[in-house]
Amino acid sequence: MMAVPNCLRCLVRPSTTSITTSVIPQSQRIVPILAAPFSTTSSVQKAGMQPRKKAGIPGKGSLSRAQIGPNGHIRAGKKMQLGKFKKAKNIERGKAPAPGERKAFRKRVLLSNDNALPVTGLEELSAQGLLDASNVGRMVALPNELVDQLRAVEAFKPTQSWGMFRQPSVLLRKESVELAKKMTETAGRGETLKLVISGDKLVGKSMLLLQAISNAFLNNWIVFHVPEGQELTNASTDYAPIPDTKPTQYSQQAYGLRLLQALRKANASILAELRTVNPHPELVQHFPVGSSLLQLANAAREPDSAWPIFNAVWSELMVKGNGRPPILFSVDGLAHIMKMSEYRSPAFEIIHAHDLALVNHFVEFLAGNKKLPNGGAVIAATARSNAPRNPSMELMVGRREAELGYAEEKPVKEPYGKGYDERVEKALEKVDVLKLRSVSRTEARSLMEYWAASGLLRTAVDEKTVSEKWMIGGNGNLGEMERVSLLTMRY
Amino acid sequence: MAAAAQSLRLALRCSSRRVAPRIQLARPQKLTVARPFSTTPLRRAEEEDPQEVEEEVRIFDNPGDALQELLRTGELSEEEQLDAVEAQKAWEQLPIEEKQKIIADVKGVREHIAPLRRPVPKPKNSFWNVDEKDTEMITNEVGEDEFDEDEITSMGHAKLEEHREFREYARIAVWEMPLLAKLAKPFKPPTNEHVLRFRYTSYMGEFHPAEKKVVVQFCPDDLGLTKQQQLKLAKIAGSRYNPETNIIKMSCEMFEHQAQNKRYLGDLVEKMIATAKDPTDTFEDIPLDTRHHTFTKKPKFPKEWRLTAERQAQIEEQRKQALLLDETKRREGSLIDGVERIQYALAGPSRDEMDGRVAELVSAPRSSAKTRGANFRR
Repeated sequence: MMAVPNCLRCLVRPSTTSITTSVIPQSQRIVPILAAPFSTTSSVQKAGMQPRKKAGIPGKGSLSRAQIGPNGHIRAGKKMQLGKFKKAKNIERGKAPAPGERKAFRKRVLLSNDNALPVTGLEELSAQGLLDASNVGRMVALPNELVDQLRAVEAFKPTQSWGMFRQPSVLLRKESVELAKKMTETAGRGETLKLVISGDKLVGKSMLLLQAISNAFLNNWIVFHVPEGQELTNASTDYAPIPDTKPTQYSQQAYGLRLLQALRKANASILAELRTVNPHPELVQHFPVGSSLLQLANAAREPDSAWPIFNAVWSELMVKGNGRPPILFSVDGLAHIMKMSEYRSPAFEIIHAHDLALVNHFVEFLAGNKKLPNGGAVIAATARSNAPRNPSMELMVGRREAELGYAEEKPVKEPYGKGYDERVEKALEKVDVLKLRSVSRTEARSLMEYWAASGLLRTAVDEKTVSEKWMIGGNGNLGEMERVSLLTMRY
Repeated sequence: MAAAAQSLRLALRCSSRRVAPRIQLARPQKLTVARPFSTTPLRRAEEEDPQEVEEEVRIFDNPGDALQELLRTGELSEEEQLDAVEAQKAWEQLPIEEKQKIIADVKGVREHIAPLRRPVPKPKNSFWNVDEKDTEMITNEVGEDEFDEDEITSMGHAKLEEHREFREYARIAVWEMPLLAKLAKPFKPPTNEHVLRFRYTSYMGEFHPAEKKVVVQFCPDDLGLTKQQQLKLAKIAGSRYNPETNIIKMSCEMFEHQAQNKRYLGDLVEKMIATAKDPTDTFEDIPLDTRHHTFTKKPKFPKEWRLTAERQAQIEEQRKQALLLDETKRREGSLIDGVERIQYALAGPSRDEMDGRVAELVSAPRSSAKTRGANFRR
């Protein structure tokens, strides 16, 4: 009978036992208080504590061996314990990221780093500055309004290392000035510049495209920019056949809405000034002639209604004269829109990328079948790391490069080669190619001085260091130079 | 001689090792049927006197001694005793040379059969008597593996044999090979008449299935064809055409004999040429297929990279200019040093800048505890 009170006491919390009964066992009463010089628990409380018994030891009685399952089933006998020497896993898994959160983290673009030193004495990029040949090999800071515009059209890429510096700045290369000049001249004549930017991996094709977009924004052009060509063709946005088109074309409403949103964010001030010329009876909402284009663009709130509005905005921008500015239409990742898409027609046939209305818009201008009435530029940048094999595009771009003197031999079409696409060849027949190549040492030096002034390159930037990094970085391949001097912890 | 042989037989019998058991065996045995049917287990008869069994084993040199011993022990029947006496007499009457010869023979025979008579111990725990010697197998090769230490080893012999071979070939090389030079013919490059190059395979008289194979190689340019016909020939040849070397290579091992295969190839080449010359279809609409061939491009050291004296001077000049540029920049103070910049930034604004500033009086904001906390956190 003596065991019963003891057992009952076990069930009560030790602290309450000692407080309520104030009966401290003889043995525990002798425990010196000095044993714990510093403790947050009271000594009385501590004295009441019993060392916890191990939970896993089965009792000796047969009753304790019998186990009652969750459904009331009594399981008698000994339970086999497998892996009893293993520690109980108690991994604290945090909250799983919400859907889309991981991608958002992966795709986020940081444009500033408070830990980097501010670089003083940098000029701000201006429309005039882009045309000035004496600015070649100079770092320029992007003005804040331009940064907002570029951000709106997603011209900044997560792979570019903007997040290391205090303020987004770019190096003006020989090619950037040339391109800006070309754009301004062509648009001035009211013509369309059709250009493909090609070049080696990491050479700075997307950055040159960003500078072209900057040039467009600084000259108050309208800009449509597709930041990733693959997003149009890899079946990640919804699509629908456009009725009464032959061959059937497919609209991408969600993407159209996205382009419209980017447009009204980046070009709001220009759109607010432009007035509609044509009535748009096909739209649900009524827009009297003379309402601003911003109003028209703002009408697109949902993907369902976006496509007609997108068309309306396009048709308004295609009006000749009437104060319409030149347009820049650019795509990064050309190879993705020059192949069969991942979409399927209702007959389950693969849709050619050129049958997607948005892509078709771009390709028509690039091929020269359509012309921008108020001038402008259609620029596509190729990508090297994320690019499907595209023999036709490679062939045509290679041919143009050879014609322009970038290569010695003109590539020939393999007679039995597979994967050639006539539509692609036709589209790229008359295109102009700008092959981006390595930077010169003076350009490299200016960039490295910027790195050092930002506190990211911990050496004196003299000719020796510059030529060392220039050589290690693939003879002036900017991305490689960045890898060997800034991103050494990552690679 | 019969008496002599009989005496020898007796003598051998007596001089055998196991004298007593033989005698025992000679004794007549009782012809009783021991328990034709019984339910009790069989038990051995009681052992005989051990004294009787354990006979002394003696070996005699000559039959005379053996007979004498036999008579002395007196365990013979009367008939046998008479025979033994007679045999002993015959032995004593033999001339001394005969006696000695017999003694020597007996000795020799004994020595020879000694290994055979040696009891072979049965190996214990052997699986299926694997290690047991097959005593019934009679071979001539007795003791052939024994090495008498009077000769070099077989490996030594092999080495010597190798040396002999070397020397034989060396002799041939020195004495006979130069004679072949008499048979040498001067090399004549193949003429325009010999456009086909055949390859045969010989396995030096051995039979080999690949011996019948014949390979032919030829260049379409050598056949006196026009450019168009040459191209058509290359297209007909298909994957046998090597676009890098411009050579068509074909082989045949269809037939049993080399000559047949060669004949077939010759006919085929003729047929191909005839087809290539046929103007009805020039195959112009078909592009030449080279997918079977991988073009290899061997990278060469670029000419521009050669370190000539001019180039060296140029590099020197460039280095000098670079040094000069750095030095001027350093003097101007426009040379940017990343480490310096960081240290400068870490040191904070300079004292002059701080002195210029006057402490501003800012009224303490009446902010709630919440915003204050937020400020603090920041």
